[in-house]
Amino acid sequence: MAARKPAHEYQVTLERPADFDAFWEKIMADVAEIPLNASMEHVPLRSTDEVDIYEIHYDSLDHVRVAGWYARPKEGYIAPPYPGLLIVPGYVSEPTLPKSWARMGYATVGVAPRGKLRSNSQFNPGYPGLLVNNIIDKHTYSYRGFYVDAARAVDFLLTRPEVDPKRIGVHGSSQGGALTVTTSALRRDVISCGAAGAPYLCGFMDAAALTHSYPYEEINDYLREHPDHEPMVHETLAYFDGINFAPLIKAPMFVYIGLEDDVVPPETGYALVDAMTCPKKLHASERCAHDAGRYWVMPMVEQFLAKHLQPATTREHAEPTIG
Amino acid sequence: MEKGESTTMDANFDAYWDGIDQELAAYEARPQLEPMTRHSNEHCTVYALKLTSIGPYRLFGYYSVPHGDGPFPTLYNLPKYGSVNHVPDYNDRKRYVVLTLMYRGQRLADQPFAAAYPGLLTLGIDSPETYIYRGIAADCLRGAEFLQSRPEVDQSRICLLGDDLAVITAARRPNVALAQVAGLAFYRMMEAAARTSAYPLEEINDYLRANPEKRDAVARTVSYFDPQYHAPRVTATTLLNLGAEGSTSGASWQEPLAAALGGPVERYELTNEGGTDHDWLDAWTATKFGTEPMSKFIREFA
Repeated sequence: MAARKPAHEYQVTLERPADFDAFWEKIMADVAEIPLNASMEHVPLRSTDEVDIYEIHYDSLDHVRVAGWYARPKEGYIAPPYPGLLIVPGYVSEPTLPKSWARMGYATVGVAPRGKLRSNSQFNPGYPGLLVNNIIDKHTYSYRGFYVDAARAVDFLLTRPEVDPKRIGVHGSSQGGALTVTTSALRRDVISCGAAGAPYLCGFMDAAALTHSYPYEEINDYLREHPDHEPMVHETLAYFDGINFAPLIKAPMFVYIGLEDDVVPPETGYALVDAMTCPKKLHASERCAHDAGRYWVMPMVEQFLAKHLQPATTREHAEPTIG
Repeated sequence: MEKGESTTMDANFDAYWDGIDQELAAYEARPQLEPMTRHSNEHCTVYALKLTSIGPYRLFGYYSVPHGDGPFPTLYNLPKYGSVNHVPDYNDRKRYVVLTLMYRGQRLADQPFAAAYPGLLTLGIDSPETYIYRGIAADCLRGAEFLQSRPEVDQSRICLLGDDLAVITAARRPNVALAQVAGLAFYRMMEAAARTSAYPLEEINDYLRANPEKRDAVARTVSYFDPQYHAPRVTATTLLNLGAEGSTSGASWQEPLAAALGGPVERYELTNEGGTDHDWLDAWTATKFGTEPMSKFIREFA
């Protein structure tokens, strides 16, 4: 038996396909041809004296209809314009209503990419399942549309007159951390900053070798059944790896990880940050696991977002972001 | 009642829960086990389990059995609030029989009823008879009954892991040895909801903001699921996970529950370091059941 090396010394085995950028440019060009067709329905049940809640929908890649929550300050509580904030969900969690962020002055979308509840009538690989759905074909792999759905939520924010288009951020943990990375890359001309906790979907194959915890264990389960598929799995995942999106990001990024994270091995967090060429900061918490130290880090996340997005108040505090 | 007031145990409490037991008894569970080759490995076989609960409603569970001669110590993961529960943990599957149940409305048990999040916590909440948690609690009891029927389960070494549903299950199906309890929602729910704007308890606040005249009815309904009223029937050794003092997971807040529990009570103060907490909690069960403590974070590779 060999002791695990310190996470920052690990080298991921990932390569960046030569046509990575062209692959995603084509996808984003395809979705640009699809009108957003955004809708908003006020939800009085979830609204308060400070915040209005709306259920939103918009069209995304392959004409999949995507749902989300939109929480914005009431004008009598905080006057517009507001910074926009996209909160992206974890793998098994449903997007929570981002009320606490709206109380701080952000116009906030909590998006439910395809396959999540309310966005699963046209696409529903299930859980477990999403991670390995069509994993041997980059053109139909589940995350192709999933990543675009998150990026399209930024487009929704841009349709809102109360949102300042020069102040839009993105934040999430675990899969939300991954979507923070991919969205910051795919909407790099819009995103002002991103805060990514325990970023999943980075160094997929290395991660699967470093853990037995789900969701990455889905890959191990799949390859146990289909060992001959491994080259195709490798090929596909290289096009969806957050580490390969990282060099595209322009905005400042805050990444936080747990050094005993069994779900998202910390080695992949270091590799992600190494691949970023944007302004960046990494915070690694000793003895923390997939929580990524959020008990101590959430105030840092709030400060980081506030510094770049300038919300109306920092008196309120957000609910801890759980992946 | 006023906002933030405590509830009391309803006079109909015992009859209500006896009625659930009787209704469950009227439906055979008719368990169906199908091997899941994808999730089975060199240590265990994982089965897709289906069971009938009240309604009638067909439930789903992951049921994992270690290879080798049993009976084995057993973990019962009670379903959490949310749409998805993971396949049982790799290390747990090596050491224990593991049941992870999906209650009605969760993924894999979402036909014909698919739960909404947010929304589930207040579904039918005006009356204990219509409240969705009546069925959900029955689902959890059915899972315990299934474990009690299995020869590979060591009936003297069953540990429940979960929230309020773990306490209710330990109380109503008392042949469990251990219960690890964390993340309580129904415990002093009306008081706790008044102290937070975080979901899922914010669902209660949302509902009462829209329906202020229903506060008494809601308080009565949720009191049936408050673990402090089930606690006297619990004989298991119960480990309470404690959060920061002064919070609704702190020691002082949980003291009425601890005092009411019928079996031995132990406490663990969470450090908020996920690795530290996991390893401590894993070792607690392992030590009591005579299995090897294991960390999820792999520290050595072959």
